[in-house]
Amino acid sequence: MTWALAALGLVLFGAFATRLDLDWAARIAIAFTCGIVIGGSLMYVESLIGIAWSPWTVGLPAILCAVSAGWRLSPAATGRRNPPEESVAVALLFLLTLYGAATARITTGDLLYFWGPKAQHFFNARGIDVEFLRFPHYYLMHSDYPPLLPLLSVWSSIWTGSFSYWGAVLLGPLLLLAAVAAFRGYSQSGLFAVLLAAVLTFGFAAGRVAGGADPLLLLFEIVALSALTFRRSRADDLVAAIALAGAAFTKVEGAAFVAVVIAATIITRRSARPLLLAIPAAILLGSWIVFSKQHGLLDSYGRAGTPLHLDRLGFVAWVTGHQISYGAFYLPWVASLAPLAFARNWRRAALPLIVGAASIACAIYFYLHEPDPAWWIKASAERVLLTSLASFVVASAAASE
Amino acid sequence: MLRGVVWTASALLVIATLQRYAVRRPPYFAAPRTVFQHVDVRQHPLHGVLVLLPQVEPLIPRGSDVTVFHPKNGETQNDHDTYLTAVGLLPHHNVLPPFTAGPDVPPEQLIEWVVAVGEPFTHPRYAPVAGFPNGWLYRVRR
Repeated sequence: MTWALAALGLVLFGAFATRLDLDWAARIAIAFTCGIVIGGSLMYVESLIGIAWSPWTVGLPAILCAVSAGWRLSPAATGRRNPPEESVAVALLFLLTLYGAATARITTGDLLYFWGPKAQHFFNARGIDVEFLRFPHYYLMHSDYPPLLPLLSVWSSIWTGSFSYWGAVLLGPLLLLAAVAAFRGYSQSGLFAVLLAAVLTFGFAAGRVAGGADPLLLLFEIVALSALTFRRSRADDLVAAIALAGAAFTKVEGAAFVAVVIAATIITRRSARPLLLAIPAAILLGSWIVFSKQHGLLDSYGRAGTPLHLDRLGFVAWVTGHQISYGAFYLPWVASLAPLAFARNWRRAALPLIVGAASIACAIYFYLHEPDPAWWIKASAERVLLTSLASFVVASAAASE
Repeated sequence: MLRGVVWTASALLVIATLQRYAVRRPPYFAAPRTVFQHVDVRQHPLHGVLVLLPQVEPLIPRGSDVTVFHPKNGETQNDHDTYLTAVGLLPHHNVLPPFTAGPDVPPEQLIEWVVAVGEPFTHPRYAPVAGFPNGWLYRVRR
């Protein structure tokens, strides 16, 4: 648990977010979210220019960020108080997820197959270990997968002295809590925070995501979508831009999410200005792809020419449709969409609704690149489509104004 | 009405979550031995790997070449899950795929150390060094 808690030190990098006009839990959660992106980017740049990671090289910049941004821990001027039972329910759902993680019931295999080994070797090398990534026998570890999760793991390892598989698993519930806290702050709805926590708790259990990149990706996605949907100031755009960069730098699917969010925001705002939100994501991911190409690491991002098997559309839709019932009669979908029956503000819900629907389309589009994707869908659909479920909860909250 | 829908949906999701946890086998309130102990309705093969590798790790000199796999009929097999897992659990060793201990590999090119999980490895050029409840450590006979 110490290892997982050490990750919270990244909040220093995002200290500017403590000045947002939100409740204190949301401000800390958003500072943590932005801190992961800023701290991870710093470690990435340090590695590119040959600076070895150490408590000094990563800790000092964190302190400088916190000091220069200034902390504000006083209560926010705005915001409504949520009934205490809603906060208690969120806390219990967090504990339920923590139980699942601590009893090894929701661990992802990807932690063992590549996220853990990458973190372990990056930590030993005190930098992004290119020789390790391009070792031919480790090609199944997806050498060009974005590195933010291993960077986050190395951050914790630097402070605790070693990489911890248990720490990586226990980080999952902390990320869930941060996502729910940020969402509650933006939506000012404790009720829908309970629903989001319940959907994610079930999704984490069904998809077995702890220790993998999905909880981190969901944190970025929920923060970005909440900031844009419940936008009150330009600062929210900044938070969204940072969170989108985090999504793109965490998983391949994150880049598709960024594209979908930007397109949906342009449509709903009827302006091209939201393109600016993608700049940090484009810089981070673009530089990573260039870096990967230069060092012979291109794998997933080098498959742009892979043919699309449109003849398999019916099959893919059928298998995906079956898999995302979650073996629970589509309960999470019903739960996240049912509140829309009471919708009052469809206009505000448009952005997350478009993103949720487009994320399903994106997943199917990815699956269509494999001639026989049944195994892939069965292995990933329950995890990947948590993005859509979370988007629909955000939409329900937005519509229920 | 909206509150009732949200609370009911949340309660049903909690019940569904508890059902998922329950089918992943008891004990429910004991510290698990590995991060993979209760991920499925049956014991996952990688649980044994996670138990075994910390036990054999001190017996293999750092920097050595080693492969890790579940033997099939006493021989090597393509066991990506196991050897990729070993890459993370043996970060100070050179973990290579199982074929490096295959029957067709010339004796001088056989990998030095083999960790066999679950069942014994019967390659005649390898001698057991240590045995554990979840597997064996072998070293090549040069």
